[in-house]
Amino acid sequence: MIAIDSLSKSRGSLRVLHEVSLAGAEGGVTALVGASGSGKTTLLRCLNGLETFDAGGLTVAGHRLEPGPHVPATLERLRRDVGMVFQQFNLFPHLSVIDNVTLAPRTVLRMAAEEARMVGLALLERVGLASFAAARPATLSGGQQQRVAIARALAMQPRVMLFDEPTSALDPTMTAEVLDVIIDLAREGQTMVVVTHDHAFAKRAATWVVELAAGRVARQGPAAEILS
Amino acid sequence: MITTSPRPVAPWGVCALALVVGVATAGAAELDEVRRRGELVWAADQEGGGPHVFPASDDPTRLTGFEVEFAELLAAELGVRARFQQGQWDRLPLLLGRSADCVINGIELTPERQRDYRCSRPYFAYALQLLGRRAGPLDAFERLSGPGPHGPWKVGVLTGSAAETVMRSRSDLDVEVVGYDGTLDSLEQVRTRVLDAAVMDDCIFTFYADRFADLRTVGRPFAGGLYAVLTARDTPELAAAIDTAIGRLIADGRLKSLYDRWDLAGRQQMLLLRDATEIPAAPSRSTWDLVRETLPLLVRSAGMTVLLSCISFPLAILLGLAVAVGRLYGPPILRPLLTGYVEVLRGTPLMLQLYAIFFLLPKVGLALPAVVAAVAGLALNYSAYESEIYRAGLKAVPLGQFEAALALGLTKWQALRHVLVPQAVRIVMPPVTSDFIALFKDTSVCSAITVIELTKRYSVLALSTGRIVELAVVTAILYLAMSWPLALLSRWFERRLESGGQR
Ligand SMILES: Nc1ncnc2c1ncn2[C@@H]1O[C@H](COP(=O)(O)OP(=O)(O)O)[C@@H](O)[C@H]1O
Ligand SMILES: [Mg+2]
Repeated sequence: MIAIDSLSKSRGSLRVLHEVSLAGAEGGVTALVGASGSGKTTLLRCLNGLETFDAGGLTVAGHRLEPGPHVPATLERLRRDVGMVFQQFNLFPHLSVIDNVTLAPRTVLRMAAEEARMVGLALLERVGLASFAAARPATLSGGQQQRVAIARALAMQPRVMLFDEPTSALDPTMTAEVLDVIIDLAREGQTMVVVTHDHAFAKRAATWVVELAAGRVARQGPAAEILS
Repeated sequence: MITTSPRPVAPWGVCALALVVGVATAGAAELDEVRRRGELVWAADQEGGGPHVFPASDDPTRLTGFEVEFAELLAAELGVRARFQQGQWDRLPLLLGRSADCVINGIELTPERQRDYRCSRPYFAYALQLLGRRAGPLDAFERLSGPGPHGPWKVGVLTGSAAETVMRSRSDLDVEVVGYDGTLDSLEQVRTRVLDAAVMDDCIFTFYADRFADLRTVGRPFAGGLYAVLTARDTPELAAAIDTAIGRLIADGRLKSLYDRWDLAGRQQMLLLRDATEIPAAPSRSTWDLVRETLPLLVRSAGMTVLLSCISFPLAILLGLAVAVGRLYGPPILRPLLTGYVEVLRGTPLMLQLYAIFFLLPKVGLALPAVVAAVAGLALNYSAYESEIYRAGLKAVPLGQFEAALALGLTKWQALRHVLVPQAVRIVMPPVTSDFIALFKDTSVCSAITVIELTKRYSVLALSTGRIVELAVVTAILYLAMSWPLALLSRWFERRLESGGQR
C-alpha cells in the first residue's frame, strides 16, 4: 500500500530528507517517530503530494509520485484515496460540522446532498459527535474538532490515512478521545501512517515503526521489535 | 448660456458654503465701495466659453470675448477698472457679495432671477438654433413634431441652459432631451450619431462652426431671449449705475460696434435691446411649497442614484473577485495583465473613464446608452479597488485551509470556490461595505455623461429656482437617508467579525 524508495528532499541548502526508504508497511499502522525537526511532517506531506521532492520516488494506494512538480490530475486522483489529519485540525470555520464532513463527497465524488448527509451523520456518530452536526467548529473543544477532522477525512473512504501528531495540539485531557478513535480504525484494518511522540499509543496501535533522525531513517522494523 | 459646469458640487459642500456666507457677509459692496476700490469685479466661467469669455488663442493666459470687452466698457462708465473673477457657471450668483460685484456671463433674464437678484436691463439678445448632421434626415425644425427614424428625436442641450428649458417645455415635439455638462459635448455626440440634433445659442455654433464642419444649422433660430448683468439684492445703487451705463452704451453706439466687431448681428441686437420689455418677477415661494414641488423630482433622481449603485457594485465585486483570484492563482502569463488592469483603473480618474466609455467608444462604433455607460464605468473603476481588497482577504485566509481542501481531493478551483473565497468574503465585508458607500456618492460623477442622478437634479433645481441652500439641505437629507443604513450595516459586520470571527 505504501512504498518509498530513496526519497530525498532539500530546502535550500538544508537536507530535510536523505534517501528515505520504507517497505514492509503493506497494510496496518505505521508509526513515524523521531526528534522534532527530523523530517516526519515533511515525509508525511510528501505522501499526499503537499510537498514535492528532489530524488527517489513513492507509491501510495497504487498512485506513483516522481521527483519534481506533480501533475494536478495525478494529485487529485491520489488524494481521493489518501486522507490526511493535521496537527491543527484545519476545519473550515465557515461551514457547519456536517458541511465540513460532506464537502469533499459532494464536490469531488459528486455525491447527492441527501446521501452525503447520511454518510456524514454516520461518520459523526462513529466519532461520537452526531449531536454536533449543525454546530460551527469554533464552538467545539480541540478534541472534538480533531474527531470531526478525522470524520471529514474518512468521508472520502480513503485507502490510506495520514495523521500528523493528531494529539499534540490538544489539552492532555482530550488526547484519549482522539486516540481511541484512531485505535478503533486500526482494528478495522484501516491502513495508516501516524506521526507520534506517544510511546504507549505506538505500542498499542502500530504494526511497523520508522524512526527518523536528521532526515535519515535511523531504524525501522516491526513494532514489537523496535518498541520493546 | 455658454459655459460648462464641469463638476457638480456636493450638496453638503454648498451647505457648508452657505453657512460661511451667512456668517461672513456683512453685505455686498455698494457703488461707493466699488468706486473707492477702483475695481468692478465681474464673475464668469471661461471654460468652453466662446465667444463670450474664453482664453485668447495666441495667449491662453489672456481672456478675450465680447463679454470681456463689455465688462471693460461697463467698468469705464463707472469710472473704475474691470477685474475678472473665475467661477463655475451654475454657481456664479453665489459669488455675489463675496468675491464679485456682478455676474456677466450669458445669464438669461428669467422671472426667478428677477426675484432673487437684481437683473440689469438686457445687454444681449440670444437666439436658439437647431443643429444636425449635414447628410442627416433632420432637414427642417417641423420634422421634430413627428417621430424620428428610430423613435423620438434625440436632442442634446447644455444642462441648465435656456435651450434645455425651452426644449423640455415643448410638449408638441416628439423629442428626447439629453442634458450635457459641456457646451460642445452635444455637438460631439451629434457628430458620432449618438444624438440626432443639438440646440444651442446660435452665436456659440457660429463661433465653433469650423470645428464641426460636418454639422449644419437646421432652419432659422426658433426661440430667443435676453442676457442681463446680475447684482446682489442689497446693492441697488450699483444696479442702477449699471443700468444707466448700459443705456449709454446702447444709445451712443459703442455696444453696437462691439457686437459688429464680434460679428454678432449688431443692428439686430440694438433693435431687440431698445424694445426689451420688463419681465414680471415671479412670486417668492415658501420653503414648504418649494420642498413639496421639488421633492418628487429629487426622490426620483435618488432612485437613479440607487439604481446606478445597486447594479454597478455587485458587478464591481464579481469582476474584482475574478481579478484578485486571477492575480493570485491564475496562469502566470495572465498575472501582469491583471496587475496592469488594476493599476490603470486605479491610477486614472473615474470621470476620465466615464468620458472614454461614453464619448470615445462611439467613435469605434460602440455607442452605449448613458446609464449603461455609467454602470460600466463605475463597475470597472470599482472592480480595481475591490480586487485589491479581495487579494488581501484571500491572502489572510490561513494556508492550512487551502491545504486541507486539497488534501481532501478538491481541485485548486474547487478549493477556491468552497473554502478560500467564502472565508475571504467574510474577512473583507467591512471594507467592501464602506466602499459601497463611497461608490454610492461617486455616482454623482455620472452627470458628466448626461445621467441625471440626485446631485445633478439638485444642481439643476438649485439653478432654476435660486433656492440653493434649502434644496441642498433636502438633498443632503436624502443622501443620508440612503447611506445611513449602509453605514450601520458596515459597523454591524465589523462588530460581528471582531467578536469571535465565525458565526
Ligand atoms: N516551510 C518550511 N520552510 C523551511 N524549512 C522548513 C519548513 N518546514 C519545515 N522546515 C524544516 O525542515 C526540517 C524538517 O521539518 P519537519 O518535517 O517539520 O520535522 P518534524 O515534523 O519531524 O518536526 C526542519 O529542519 C524544519 O526546520
Ligand atoms: Mg512535525
